[in-house]
Amino acid sequence: MLVLARRVLVLALLVVLHPSTAFSAGAKSTHEYDLKATFLFHFAEFVEWPAETLPDKAPFTIGIIGNDPFGKSLDEIVANEVVDGHKLLVRRFQSVSQIDSCQILFIAPSEASRLDQLLSHLNRRSVLTVGDTRDFALRSGIIGFVISEKRLRLAVNLAAANAAKLTISSKLLRQSEIVGPAPVRE
Amino acid sequence: MKAPRTTIRRKLVKAMMLTSTTVLLLMGALFVGHDVVSFRRLLVQALVTRANILAANSTAALAFQNRDDASQVLDALKTDPRMIAAALYDEKGTLFATYPPAAEPGTVPPESGPTGYRFEKSDLVVSQPVAEDGRRVGAIYLKSDLHELDDRVRVDAMVVLFAVLGSIGVAFALSTWLQRRIAQPVLALAKVVRSVSDHKDYSIRSKAVGDDEVGVLAEAFDEMLSEIQMRDKEIRLLNTDLERRVIARTAEFEAANKELEAFSYSVSHDLRAPLRHIDGFVELLTKHAGSSLDEKGQRHLATISSAARKMGTLIDDLLAFSRMGRTEMRKIAVNLAALAEEVVQDLQVDAKDRRVEWKLGQLPTVQGDPAMLRLVLENLFSNAIKYSGPREAARIEIDAQPQNGEIVVSVRDNGVGFDPTYAHKLFGVFQRLHGPAEFEGTGIGLANVRRIVSRHGGRTWAEGAIGQGATFYFSLPR
Repeated sequence: MLVLARRVLVLALLVVLHPSTAFSAGAKSTHEYDLKATFLFHFAEFVEWPAETLPDKAPFTIGIIGNDPFGKSLDEIVANEVVDGHKLLVRRFQSVSQIDSCQILFIAPSEASRLDQLLSHLNRRSVLTVGDTRDFALRSGIIGFVISEKRLRLAVNLAAANAAKLTISSKLLRQSEIVGPAPVRE
Repeated sequence: MKAPRTTIRRKLVKAMMLTSTTVLLLMGALFVGHDVVSFRRLLVQALVTRANILAANSTAALAFQNRDDASQVLDALKTDPRMIAAALYDEKGTLFATYPPAAEPGTVPPESGPTGYRFEKSDLVVSQPVAEDGRRVGAIYLKSDLHELDDRVRVDAMVVLFAVLGSIGVAFALSTWLQRRIAQPVLALAKVVRSVSDHKDYSIRSKAVGDDEVGVLAEAFDEMLSEIQMRDKEIRLLNTDLERRVIARTAEFEAANKELEAFSYSVSHDLRAPLRHIDGFVELLTKHAGSSLDEKGQRHLATISSAARKMGTLIDDLLAFSRMGRTEMRKIAVNLAALAEEVVQDLQVDAKDRRVEWKLGQLPTVQGDPAMLRLVLENLFSNAIKYSGPREAARIEIDAQPQNGEIVVSVRDNGVGFDPTYAHKLFGVFQRLHGPAEFEGTGIGLANVRRIVSRHGGRTWAEGAIGQGATFYFSLPR
């Protein structure tokens, strides 16, 4: 218990010392999720969805499934934003069955145990799945948040992206680590 | 005609050179100015384009806050040595990444500035927004040096310099060639004008042909010359005619004059013989019958005798006067001072009973006939003595002054003087202002003086007033 408290203290100190971008694994501070929220928003700019899944004037939905870790930050970032003529919208889902129209889906850590089931359910739907659970992308999630060298990094499963008919900008890929099986072009 | 100080050729070349050099320099300056401006625009464009490319490449790095990638993107600038510094700023405007990666503080602004470009001392700075899908995710800052611009200006200046130098050379050659075409007719015309004015030869023609104003001028000049030549010829003809006529008339006059002189000489001479008879026989009659005549008869005889003698003197004087006009003149140096002294001595002997004060000034040596000049002085001096007779003491002053290239000799007395109204008559033959009862004389003396002086090329005149004395002048050329 004492050891744990000390570790938390050290981590907290580290966060205080590097307030902008420094994280340590497991420190799920609100700041970290602010950043993740921003990234989620930016994905809308660097990923292309098939036109038929996103008709003109339809809202662009960023969904969260499970316990929302973002608090208000995602809503604030997305408020009044428009991407490619689509108004941005944040929706929170409790189960997969609720998901009707959704472009980006953040799978909250609370759903870790149901991940495979969730992903297989979303299979072949043009939904950009994003998560921060361990090996999210390796486990067929499309983009996974990874903390590496105290920085928030991305892992991309191109095969999964291809299966979802999503085109990820090379610019985004430059920032990311490609994981999973070699992509299959259809 | 004096030689011109400068030539039309030089003026033409100068004008053309001045024009072309000015135009060239202006063009050069315009070229350099335009080139610099457009090159600056090009530099700005290139840098803005580069900033836009880098911005496009760094959107994801900024969006996903990947400093390593941002640095990598900026690091591509190292291939260009002109790039001094670069920076990426995040959405909030805070510095995100720099080039060179370890840029010293102050190399780049700590926060993103307004969009645009500006020239700083020797650098060009561009600030551009970084946007993805029209959404601003940050800003980029690029700073490039302007050595290229300096080099460009240097190269431009050299190009202009060589172009101007070369063009000046060409312009000089061209203007030299052109001025020849323009100046040649003018120079030819000037030469002709000069030749005409120097040699007074109006037969010269310019014959300069040209389709411009010089041609017109030359033509007009030629016409003028023709006119002048014609008039000149006419004048010459008239002149020669006039000269011939003058010579003929002069010869006629001379002949008539000689005839007249010969006639008067022979008349005078021939008159003497009967006169001598009258005088001789009056003398014989006086001797022979003088005692038998009464007093009245004797007085008549005396009157006849005196009149005959007087007439003899008159004839002698006339002969002398006539001879004066005909005798050969020999011109030698005559010392007027010595001559005057001699004459005074001679006259002094004749006028022993008179008190005369002579005052001789500085008299020069002149060129002339000594015998004739002696006669002039005798006449003037004896006149002076004669007409100052009524004075107790005659005072006669003789002087000489150089005047306008002549020597003017003056003889001044304190005698009775004369009425200046008749001054012009003084020097005529037999012209007398005083009666023979007052002053004896024939009236030939001053006429002789004038004749001698005028034969020497001089003039005679007199000044005076009644009772105030008289001054007689004669001039001799020096």
